[in-house]
Amino acid sequence: MSEKSKPRVAIFDFASCEGCELQIANIEEEIIDLVNLVEVVSFREVMKEHSDDYDIAIIEGSIVRPMDVESLKVIRKNAKILIALGACACIGGVNRLRNRFTKEELFNEVYGKTGFGDNPLFDVLDETKPVDGIVPVDYYIPGCPIDRNEFKRVILALCEGKKPELPGYPVCVECKKNENVCVFEKGQFCLGPVTRAGCDAICPSHGNSCEGCRGLIYEPSNECVKEVLSRYGLDYEEMTRRRNMFNCCGREDQ
Amino acid sequence: MEFVLDKKSFARFVENLLSDESLDVEGVKEKDGKFVFGHLDSASDLRLDHDVTLIPPKKYFLPQYETILRYDLSKPFSAKAEKEQKGKVLLGIHPYDVAAIEQTDRVYLDDYADEGYRRRRDITIIVASDILDVSDRSFAAAMGTHRIYSGYDLLLTDLGGRVVVVVGSKKGKLLLEKHAANLAKAASPADLGAADALRDSVEEKYARVLKVKKEKWVELLEHSYGHPLWGELAGKCMQCGSCTMVCPTCYCYDILDETALDATKGKRVRTWDGCLLQDFTKVGSGEVFREGNTERFRHRFYRKGLYIPKRYHFTACVGCGRCATACLPDIASPLEVFNGLHERRSESAGGMAYALPETEKKKKRFDHMPACATIEKVEKLTGMEKLFEISMDDGDAFEYDPGQFVEVSLFGTGEAPISISSPPSGKSSFELVVRQVGNLTNKMHALKPGDKVGIRGPFGRGFDVSKLEGKDLLFVAGGIGIVPMRSLLAYVLDDRNRDRFGRVILFYGSKTPKDVLFMDEIRELEKKRDVTVKLTVDRCDEGQCWIGCTGVVTSLFPQVEITDAENTAAIVIGPPIMYKFVLKCLETLGIADERIYVSLERRMKCGGGKCGHCQINGVYVCREGPVFTYDEVKTLPEAFE
Ligand SMILES: Cc1cc2nc3c(=O)[nH]c(=O)nc-3n(C[C@H](O)[C@H](O)[C@H](O)COP(=O)(O)OP(=O)(O)OC[C@H]3O[C@@H](n4cnc5c(N)ncnc54)[C@H](O)[C@@H]3O)c2cc1C
Ligand code: SF4
Ligand code: SF4
Ligand code: FES
Repeated sequence: MSEKSKPRVAIFDFASCEGCELQIANIEEEIIDLVNLVEVVSFREVMKEHSDDYDIAIIEGSIVRPMDVESLKVIRKNAKILIALGACACIGGVNRLRNRFTKEELFNEVYGKTGFGDNPLFDVLDETKPVDGIVPVDYYIPGCPIDRNEFKRVILALCEGKKPELPGYPVCVECKKNENVCVFEKGQFCLGPVTRAGCDAICPSHGNSCEGCRGLIYEPSNECVKEVLSRYGLDYEEMTRRRNMFNCCGREDQ
Repeated sequence: MEFVLDKKSFARFVENLLSDESLDVEGVKEKDGKFVFGHLDSASDLRLDHDVTLIPPKKYFLPQYETILRYDLSKPFSAKAEKEQKGKVLLGIHPYDVAAIEQTDRVYLDDYADEGYRRRRDITIIVASDILDVSDRSFAAAMGTHRIYSGYDLLLTDLGGRVVVVVGSKKGKLLLEKHAANLAKAASPADLGAADALRDSVEEKYARVLKVKKEKWVELLEHSYGHPLWGELAGKCMQCGSCTMVCPTCYCYDILDETALDATKGKRVRTWDGCLLQDFTKVGSGEVFREGNTERFRHRFYRKGLYIPKRYHFTACVGCGRCATACLPDIASPLEVFNGLHERRSESAGGMAYALPETEKKKKRFDHMPACATIEKVEKLTGMEKLFEISMDDGDAFEYDPGQFVEVSLFGTGEAPISISSPPSGKSSFELVVRQVGNLTNKMHALKPGDKVGIRGPFGRGFDVSKLEGKDLLFVAGGIGIVPMRSLLAYVLDDRNRDRFGRVILFYGSKTPKDVLFMDEIRELEKKRDVTVKLTVDRCDEGQCWIGCTGVVTSLFPQVEITDAENTAAIVIGPPIMYKFVLKCLETLGIADERIYVSLERRMKCGGGKCGHCQINGVYVCREGPVFTYDEVKTLPEAFE
């Protein structure tokens, strides 16, 4: 591929722990292949340079402040392709947990009496939003953190002019292929049956349960949920609490 | 031939196997309180007292992820098949799993034999073991698979202090001779009697009762297509696919290309897929052929109890009970479902008749390795379609029937089924017309003369031209349906063949004048003897030049008189929604169902009746189709939904 045709990539972060960016920085041996494939023009976590001339924008983090909304809109305007990176950007992630409180409750709880007046750095939206709550997103790389292989796959596909696709089936498929004992059989609750696969069932394969960080792909009927919970002696409250960690749907849902 | 080994000698036998460098020794071992097949490190790892393993041993023949070939994109066409060489011994396979392997053998080896499967099967030695402990959800005894008489190389019966070994094949005998030479003694009548008693005693350990014998499943399902139970159970189904993943008799797969980040080296991977998953039947246009939960849920049971039994003469369930354990809402067990259908038989609101279409009984080979071919010519037909002339690099004549298709392979992107659009010529080249809809077809459109592509096939059943001889032929094409039709049309109108067929009428409908394919060729056809052509477009935007009609293709029917309906065959190819309307017109004309030919499209991954994606109820479009007579598919509820 000639220098000229290399897509220019910029990576931005909003409200996030930067763990997904770290996954990219940690691609290690293949980082050479990555820079042969694309030209990274902005990536705050690893470089000082910055440019507003890019083809692909990769956004990490959820959107919490009015000022972020504005920067995001500018990025969308500049980019031909916009990718949401990680659970925070794709589905709002853990940041969305705060949506159960009003803005006032939140300020009181966090900053108490001091407050921060009109400082825009501390002003927040009424609700934390995923990137596609503000601007259209072309592709998603879900997960908390993202799966490095999936990141590579998506970037490569885009460089080759293809449409990257995410698995349309749940984690159970990968979990069964990995020959794990079902987490439910161990008497615990797992979000694997309704969470989008692509992580190679990493949590159940390491003795944990799926937390749904890649987003839900299926809403089972109440009948089904009841049946499953009673079969395994599990509790509805507990299930809701677990689901809400990454997939909390708003205030009415609490 | 039967032998006996005391417990110590048996352990020595396993140790001997383990120390044989030429063998990979896998067996049943414990994992988190359950059992799995895995690599054995020592004889003491091996468990012969397991109830059932999480995943059946099918993973050794159809691995969860199997590299079928490796490619290198830095070269014009470079692919190498991945060949596993090392021999394998599998220890502790239960009888029901052996029965399942025998079934998969039939599917994967009898016809369109799968190279990868055959290779793995050849290098594997099956050491079965009789059941000591029965899983709570299993109903193997009801399926007659709790004991076996064939399918193993060696069969072990663990009698506590000693193990009886029955030799089932030459492979098994050699293994025993090599690794248990001084350990195995001839079994005494007492040993054999004890082994037999143990096998007999297993049956009583099964607590669950199957109320409708497996031989009766076919008949039961023929009555139960519209049974409310399907909807009731599907309402609880999470579409998680676990029931198919863990099943020893499920074998559907998907194929994906994975290229490394260097953008050159990659592999084509085959992986388990399942008909319960929502995207299983989704195609490039976004259409999902088996769309509802209920349809998908029902399909799995119809495959087990009706479609496969009719095709292969066995029931595609061995009663291992894995699906029952794996299904969280507990709705997946065939035992409970068939019992339910049986008990509530009177509630059914409609059945289905299913007969397998007659196809040529020639044995065929089948491989996922494509042959190298060269693009000779590229011609832009419309904004969406390009014509490619492709020649096979081996130079051999590429033989096919009109209506057949090939799988076009582009490494790094995948494969797509594409109909052959040119008439059979006896040359090594042929023509394809490709519409740009997704990843592979986009890549195709970027190809230039001289570029290489992979070709597999030809596949499927095309038109049986002998059946069309002497008849008047009415061709009805909608949109891209003209592409496969062109092969037959050109064949029939070839001067060398023309006398063998009667009058030819072509009705061809397109969206707009811009979308009409092969306009020049059609104009030429019209000049030929006894040929009537009528064209129509759905709409004609202002300023566009169009001399044909406007309206859907069925509006052309009144314009031509069919003089001899008794002696007319109709060939209908178009988008799914076209069929319903055209078929009605043909019925009005009095053209018999067995003289109406249709070509149907479904998602495809293999072309050999294995991957499961192309199924219309029990019919494989890639094998019995894509060309069917209407008569063959009209009773299939999924054909024209
Ligand atoms: C028997 C048959 C004959 C066909 N003949 C032609 C033809 O002559 N010309 C033409 O342009 N198209 C034809 N098609 C449709 C063509 O196969 C699809 O448009 C093509 O597979 C889309 O692949 P893609 O990678 O571009 O799209 P994507 O949406 O990226 O598809 C991804 C994969 O899904 C599968 N898939 C998607 N759509 C289809 C489909 N419609 N049918 C089967 N598998 C699909 C393929 O495996 C494909 O590689 C035919 C299909 C069948 C079944
Ligand atoms: S359908 Fe269920 S019981 Fe039957 S073989 Fe498959 S997993 Fe076992
Ligand atoms: S295991 Fe159960 S819930 Fe999952 S797809 Fe199968 S029937 Fe549905
Ligand atoms: S079964 Fe695989 S394409 Fe038909």
